Amino acid sequence: MSGRGTAAGGGVTFGHTELPEEQSAALRRAIRLAWGTIAFLLVGVTLVYLVMGSSQAMKAAWAEDLLSFIPPMSFLVAVRFARRRPTTAHPYGYHRSVGVGHLVAAAALLAMGTFLVLDSGSGLLAAEHPPVGVMHLGDHVFWAGWPMIGAMVLTGIPPVLLGRAKMPLARTLHDRVLYADADMNKADWMTALGSVVGILGIGAGLWWADSAAALFISVSILRDGIGNLRVAAGALMDARATTVDGDEPHPLTEQVDARLRALPWVEDARSRVRDQGHVFHVEAFVVPRDGRAPGLRELAEAREAATALDWKVQDLVVVPVDELPEEMLPGVAAAEGEDERRAGAGSR
Amino acid sequence: MRRTAGLLLTAALLAGCSGGFPADPDGTLERVTGDALRVGITANPPWTELEDGAPPSGLEAEIVAEFAETLDAEVDWTTGSEEALIGDLEAGELDLVVGGFTGRSPWSAQAALTTPYTTVPDEHGEPEPHVMAAPLGENAFLVRLETFLLEQHRDVLP
Repeated sequence: MSGRGTAAGGGVTFGHTELPEEQSAALRRAIRLAWGTIAFLLVGVTLVYLVMGSSQAMKAAWAEDLLSFIPPMSFLVAVRFARRRPTTAHPYGYHRSVGVGHLVAAAALLAMGTFLVLDSGSGLLAAEHPPVGVMHLGDHVFWAGWPMIGAMVLTGIPPVLLGRAKMPLARTLHDRVLYADADMNKADWMTALGSVVGILGIGAGLWWADSAAALFISVSILRDGIGNLRVAAGALMDARATTVDGDEPHPLTEQVDARLRALPWVEDARSRVRDQGHVFHVEAFVVPRDGRAPGLRELAEAREAATALDWKVQDLVVVPVDELPEEMLPGVAAAEGEDERRAGAGSR
Repeated sequence: MRRTAGLLLTAALLAGCSGGFPADPDGTLERVTGDALRVGITANPPWTELEDGAPPSGLEAEIVAEFAETLDAEVDWTTGSEEALIGDLEAGELDLVVGGFTGRSPWSAQAALTTPYTTVPDEHGEPEPHVMAAPLGENAFLVRLETFLLEQHRDVLP
């Protein structure tokens, strides 16, 4: 173990885990994209603020832009912490920083979504008529709605490209903060389009169009917040490891079990896997054939076989048991018998 | 998806252009033109001055009269306290309220404060932008008024 500790030399590590070339490259690119996003947001937020006026939809879009700072910043902070080595005080390492970052981002989305839904909803109920007058540049006087639409078109396109670039990196790195960020970026064009429709609505004399567009944007922010909060809280409460979008059980759990079962001395194997953020923590329970206790070498081999499967599986303990413990592996008794044949496809 | 969005935008633009863009939800500009401009005025010399038996005077009263002329409209003056007049504006019983309002006016949730038509130093020497109060959301009227103020009355001094 201590040998691995000093092997960090040139490679990138998450705690003890040295990243394969593909993940190191993805991480470097993701960090560059996060800084790029922050730089873009600074420009976008300033631009929208300058032309915002009293449109509710523009205000909602601006708030969403402000909130968009949180995921890339959480990502940069979380990654910085996650790379620290485990210490005596933090024997599991700092991987959970990803979970904390994700929770913070989700809570911010939820709070802002709630505020904006109430704000634009009350505007709609009170039949507020948004005034949009003129702006002037030197001697040139024009309707203030046009620069608003221009700003929304300009700030609506780049996030979509950023989101599309980040999404595959989030999967490669198994990084939930990056995933949430990419997901929000990808949805940004709807915000921009919503604001443009709201402003054109004001121009056409439909006073409710702006509040309605703002409500639509706020509901999408609120929904993002609820979805992310569910996944983030679940991961922090040691839910079983899932794919990065939180939708399905992670296939690695099955793969670890199958790999261990394939060892000649193993009768049955089941593991309990939690997502620490980027990497997994695996407790593998193995039942040796004929109740014969495995030797130290066999146990070391089992560990190596499982950790060779994927870079995310490093922190793994192998526990020989005479039968799979139901109290640590809920559902094991019910699934008895069909165990051997459950190759590949994850069951819910 | 993207094509539908484009069509929607075009449709919205066309709908907007046919009836003037931006348009008034309650048709203020159309109603005022060639008829009467209902203006609330509260005394705040030298911007607005009220004397018994005489029509309102002062700098803003003159600007309003000029503006009404461009619309071919008579000015129908109503005097009262600021709060009462703003209330009437909100209720749609007035089309414009003047009284030496500044950009720091607390009425921005009840009225559309115009873009400043002049900026003069206040009693402490700080620059103070002067505005008028129009009905919320009557954007054709607001744009007409603001364009008039910006083009005709840049840097008026009391």
